[in-house]
Amino acid sequence: MRKILALPVAALLMFVLVLSMNLVSEQAWSDAARRVEEEQAIRRVVGLPSIAIGTYYGATRNPLLEVYCTSLYDVPGGYCYILAAIFVDTPLRDPVYSRTIPGFNMTAQRR
Amino acid sequence: MLRRHRNLFSYSLECLKKYRMRTTVILIAFTVAVSMLSSVFFVKDGLEREAEMSVAMAPDITVEYLKGGRLLLTPSSYADAVKKIDGVEKVAPRIWGYAGISVYTFTVIGLDLSSANVPSSVAATLAKGRFLRPSDAGTGAVVVGQLLAGMLDLDVGSSMILLSEAIKARKFEVVGIFSGQSSIYTADLIVMSIEDARRFFEIPEGYVTDVCVYVREDVFAEEVAAKISTLPNSRVVTRDLLLRGYKYSYASRGGIYTTIWTILLVAVTLISFSQAIIVGHESRFEVGLLKTFGFTTLDIIEIRLIESMTLGLFAASLGMIIGAVYSMWFNAAGLADILLGWAFLPRQFKIPVHISSPSILAIYSATVIPLLFATVVPAWLNAITDPEIAMRRAAA
Repeated sequence: MRKILALPVAALLMFVLVLSMNLVSEQAWSDAARRVEEEQAIRRVVGLPSIAIGTYYGATRNPLLEVYCTSLYDVPGGYCYILAAIFVDTPLRDPVYSRTIPGFNMTAQRR
Repeated sequence: MLRRHRNLFSYSLECLKKYRMRTTVILIAFTVAVSMLSSVFFVKDGLEREAEMSVAMAPDITVEYLKGGRLLLTPSSYADAVKKIDGVEKVAPRIWGYAGISVYTFTVIGLDLSSANVPSSVAATLAKGRFLRPSDAGTGAVVVGQLLAGMLDLDVGSSMILLSEAIKARKFEVVGIFSGQSSIYTADLIVMSIEDARRFFEIPEGYVTDVCVYVREDVFAEEVAAKISTLPNSRVVTRDLLLRGYKYSYASRGGIYTTIWTILLVAVTLISFSQAIIVGHESRFEVGLLKTFGFTTLDIIEIRLIESMTLGLFAASLGMIIGAVYSMWFNAAGLADILLGWAFLPRQFKIPVHISSPSILAIYSATVIPLLFATVVPAWLNAITDPEIAMRRAAA
């Protein structure tokens, strides 16, 4: 009987472990948001909105508007960076692409 | 009543042991699928949260200059024009761009040190040296991130030469190196004075890359943005737009992998379904016998439900634990490159991982519920057959 119970007990223990990881992670991120005044300070001083994801391609770092602009305007056939990644949805369905952005005629707006 | 359910529970666990092959197939297939799926979710959520934190510190509004739909340098006079708009607290012209070293691209930031309000707490983000002072303007002093410091073996006081787009070598002196703790943000940064950046990029006087605008707390940024957008050729981007864009960007990239693994999950569910049907045939006699002894259709379904719940919970939880370990300790090797596309994460820092509640809920829903259906339906089909017929068919 003990052997048989091993699987459900292990399942339960792992379920609890997953929930604990979730709690710890949520707490850590909520601390991170408040944490480190100094880290916030450097971000405020530098003013770039992205993290340091480096790039093999000159349009993928900061600010995002350049990502949009370069990929959509400056590269021939350039719907390459963000739009090519859309696999399960169409950009027009996302509010990012349908809200009016002044001076930024990215897509036709559906009404 | 309770005793009855306890007996059914024991019996279903016996079944897990008896149909060992089915149990093993389902456990392995689901664990593999869930581990990769959860890893994508956790990394994607982590990147999103990091982007969120950075965007929160970005200027309220960024103004750029468009001509023919393309970005050009922004005239400095735009800063003066924006300053006059009601609700604007501070305007900071900025020069920034990229410098290529080896196969990497670094972000060069030129700060107006005379007007930039640099708090003393910035010093804590440095591993060595100091941050820039107003007296550093035009002297070639730079503060660099860990990635560059590691690549070029730089220390405080070291000199480095950057090659500009104009193929001109410029010499800079390192006065500070950002610490590893802040490297998720600073790893690829080269911070210098706006005068040095202007010289490096050869940007003519009277022009800047863009203009950062900070609005008063009692004013909506969108209202100010609407006023700024009346300036000719201006392109106005609010912080909210940047945040939505980043979220969308990571979500889309995660979408590719999620789709692939969702397809795999569907395949795994089909395997479970077929295994349940095979076992269903094997256990037909058993089901007939049970019904003859007085087991109801609901009892049979309850047995299979308990089996599936146990298997699903075990496989999904184990898969998520493996996914979290793979992301946190192994930096999601292989997976991160796919998720980041053309971008790369410098090895100097760990990939951000966020084990979020919505992701966990989504993964449990995507694994346990299909498994329940895949195993309970064949059991139900067996259970509604007349016991005598079921036993005769099984014996035949």
